[in-house]
Amino acid sequence: MSRQETLEELESVLEGFLERVVSGKEKRLEVLDGINRLDDIARRIGDGNELTDQIGGWFAEHNQWLNDKSLRPADTGRISRILDQIDARLRTNPERSPAMAKIEAEIKRWQHHTGGERKIVLTRGPEIAVKAEAERPGSLARFSDLMERITRRFDDLAGSSQHILSALDDALKSAEMQQNKEALILSALIIYSLKQENYKVDPYVRRLKEAERRIKGRRAGA
Amino acid sequence: MLNLSEKAYVMALRSLKQRDYGTAVTYFDQAAERFAHDKEFALLHETTRVLVATKNELAALRAKYDSESIIEEVFDGQETDFSG
Repeated sequence: MSRQETLEELESVLEGFLERVVSGKEKRLEVLDGINRLDDIARRIGDGNELTDQIGGWFAEHNQWLNDKSLRPADTGRISRILDQIDARLRTNPERSPAMAKIEAEIKRWQHHTGGERKIVLTRGPEIAVKAEAERPGSLARFSDLMERITRRFDDLAGSSQHILSALDDALKSAEMQQNKEALILSALIIYSLKQENYKVDPYVRRLKEAERRIKGRRAGA
Repeated sequence: MLNLSEKAYVMALRSLKQRDYGTAVTYFDQAAERFAHDKEFALLHETTRVLVATKNELAALRAKYDSESIIEEVFDGQETDFSG
């Protein structure tokens, strides 16, 4: 077999493998793509674009998600948080058109279905809100950012895990191997929560301490 | 908002679906730091990277073969007349 023939066969095998993987993830990819699109819409709201049509279109396109079982708990968490952000942004706009009111009602309906309904009290306009954020003490803002990143990390782990112990195991691996501080704090939170529910957590505590020792060692060596 | 690495992973999968493997590698690279611990991510990332390298190698071989064929056609053993 010539070098070219060997490479062509390798190309065919790799393409076939990737196609089968993607084909098996068709439904999942559809969900992730939909969430990604909603996130894109949320990111553009501040640009002053007229986005109610896009949001309305997104709701219409993904309405069936409320009835079928496509969404994982992590997905509903993500959607709920993005909808919260969109809702908060819409409420800061003093000109409330009928289309915006309809979008807000639709967001409420989704939040109700996905169990993410939260009462949002945001009565100030955007300028005042931005000023308030800037005046926030640094330590509170940093902790808030950290919690947000940890929540996103947990969503990732929970999405690919069947049990909280699997998510904890993955978080600890990330803390141990990558010396990742967010993963370390997430692990500690899960361990403490499990301890409250009388799980046997000693082996996990040992791993947590070892990961903490490595992270401290890396910092000291830096 | 979604993390940018998460968005990149989704875009990489979408690119794979569209068989746009070069773009998929770019997105996988962007998401790599966040998903380094994810075995499935690593498998897809590496497979796509090898596939792109294979395609590049094949393209180079084919280009070489094509240029050699042209040279053989031009210089096919007979005396070539360059006179105007």
